[in-house]
Amino acid sequence: MKLRDSLRLAGRSLAGHRLRSALTVVGIVIGISTVVIFASFGTSVQTDVVGEFEDTAASEIIVTSGDVGFGDSSGGPPIPTDLLDGIPAVTDYDVEQLGGIDGVEAVIPSGPIDADAVTVGEETLARGVQVTAIPPAGFAEGDIITGEPFESGARGEIVLTETAVERFEANVTVGDTVTVDYADASPEEFTVVGVTGSVRGGFSSAFSPIFYVPIEPYYAEHGSTAPSASQGVDQRAFPQVTLVAPPDRVTDVQADVERYMTEDSDAIRVENVNDVTVQSTADIVDGIESVLADVIRLVSGIGLLALLVGAFGIANIMLVSVTERTKEIGIMKATGARNREVMGLFLGEAVLLGLAGAVVGIPLGLAVGYGAAVYAEVGFTVPIIWLVVAAGMGIATGVVAGLYPAWRAARVDPIDALRYE
Amino acid sequence: MSVTDGDAAAAGARADGPEDEAVVTVADVHKEYDLGGTVTALDGVSLALAEGSYTAVMGPSGSGKSTLLNLIGALDTPTAGEVIVDGENVADLPERERARLRGTEIGFVFQTFNLMPRLAAVENVALPLVFAEWSRRERRERAETLLSEVGLGDRLDHLPRELSGGQRQRVAIARALAADPEIILADEPTGNVDTDTGAEIMDLLAAARDRGNTILLVTHERRIADHADRIVHVTDGAIEEIEPVEAGE
Ligand SMILES: Nc1ncnc2c1ncn2[C@@H]1O[C@H](COP(=O)(O)OP(=O)(O)OP(=O)(O)O)[C@@H](O)[C@H]1O
Ligand SMILES: [Mg+2]
Repeated sequence: MKLRDSLRLAGRSLAGHRLRSALTVVGIVIGISTVVIFASFGTSVQTDVVGEFEDTAASEIIVTSGDVGFGDSSGGPPIPTDLLDGIPAVTDYDVEQLGGIDGVEAVIPSGPIDADAVTVGEETLARGVQVTAIPPAGFAEGDIITGEPFESGARGEIVLTETAVERFEANVTVGDTVTVDYADASPEEFTVVGVTGSVRGGFSSAFSPIFYVPIEPYYAEHGSTAPSASQGVDQRAFPQVTLVAPPDRVTDVQADVERYMTEDSDAIRVENVNDVTVQSTADIVDGIESVLADVIRLVSGIGLLALLVGAFGIANIMLVSVTERTKEIGIMKATGARNREVMGLFLGEAVLLGLAGAVVGIPLGLAVGYGAAVYAEVGFTVPIIWLVVAAGMGIATGVVAGLYPAWRAARVDPIDALRYE
Repeated sequence: MSVTDGDAAAAGARADGPEDEAVVTVADVHKEYDLGGTVTALDGVSLALAEGSYTAVMGPSGSGKSTLLNLIGALDTPTAGEVIVDGENVADLPERERARLRGTEIGFVFQTFNLMPRLAAVENVALPLVFAEWSRRERRERAETLLSEVGLGDRLDHLPRELSGGQRQRVAIARALAADPEIILADEPTGNVDTDTGAEIMDLLAAARDRGNTILLVTHERRIADHADRIVHVTDGAIEEIEPVEAGE
């Protein structure tokens, strides 16, 4: 019997029980679409977030004083440093030493300014306001969306993130006045010189309302200090320093930075600083990817469970079908069907059911995944590999579920079958 | 020719004249079914079907007629004895060859028609050709020709449930002839149709015989059995008598 003929006959049988076939397929559709939804959404988040990060920060090393990773700095997935606060402990001396490490192209210390509120016109933002001091080198090529970065020492100039702009009703733009209320209650007026999408070493800057002021002179006035063990005096101290290195040397530079920070730095000697965290962009990307991969795996596991349930559905309906069609099996055997041809017919039906599940489940999953991506405002990426996996799972489910019923069908005794009423 | 049981009968079945060209030889066949106790369906049957012969089998219900037919049709194998079809001992054939035998050397016609309910008449007729791997076009052509010959040229695409009993049985006969088999095995083909329709069906079998088919027909009705060359009377799983039918009836 030719393959095409068996598939045609199998299709005819399924078409003969349209509703039943459709209901059987539902389980598979749910399983496959679940897998595809989360695979496509996860892949999209991964591509979007990680892609953005990789573009702008391919060769950055982020030093944070304090243990900001999970567990020790070598184990566990590293997480974006500026989501957690470091302790202001990296001193001016440390910054100078880090800048002297072979291969370091730029040193960008950054730290929070002690501010309570920010006002634009009539609107005041008090909660969740973050004013951060960074040097102009903190803005990489292409970070600034409108206007320009401030210059070092530029008093009264401020740059804010797009997310910060969105917080205000008024459309804040270059030239507007922003008033910062310091913790000591003295206000200062700034003029907006630029709006930025992100900064170096600032993974979440794209998503947080942050106001950037020049590190000179503001950090000395409103930032933090710490004792410099090497110099014997108090110095400006930063919770975070971002280093830029050539992409091909990042690993070496990172090792040198780590050695300096853990062995010789002032930061490690500051009280309560038990550790320093040195992460490269690659570490963070890996961390995010592994977290996302875990999530995708977990949810795909749920999808697989649904597939398993679907497989039992197929197996059940196929067993019913074998019993119902005992007489047909007898007829086929009497007209020359071999046992394996009968088996092939029933297996073919189960595979077609699984395949139908994939054919419906994949576009459905993609559609919902696309909706989720749009809702979460990330670019949608089609996870080609997962689509192939999903289609394969549909077929495999059919095969596994159909095997036993098909074997039963093949073993039907034609004489009993033909006597069967 | 008279047949008793045992080895002598088996020898007789082989030795008689026409057996030289026997298409089917049944030699001292026993068939038992084991259902807790043992049911003996056939108890030492020997019979030969010469090429082109027309044999009717008669006997009371439960006497083993269908069992005999199923053994000859390679749907089953005997508990003891031999069934030789086309020179081959059916029991020795691998499953694959037995299936081929059923598909291309033998055509079955059943009392209950046994058509595939979801396939159209033309597809039912073509079914043996599907398993014989004919191309779709050739199958269709052959099936249309046969259906026209049995007078159903205008019912090609009807489903079995859209046909009368007599029409269904004609489809079944067309199907039995599809792969151009040597042997036609008909188990009470007129059992479920009225007298006139039964006559039509017997005409179709006669036509098949005229084209050279070897026919074995199981029936209850003497009138039907009279279409054959000879009538084999079976009782309790054994052949009681083989009675020649006078030509011209
Ligand atoms: N598959 C089977 N399993 C068990 N017993 C069977 C089976 N097939 C037939 N028999 C038994 O074998 C005996 C012969 O049955 P068979 O069907 O050959 O009779 P028959 O002569 O065709 O009868 P009828 O005229 O009623 O069709 C009966 O006693 C029957 O019960
Ligand atoms: Mg019978």
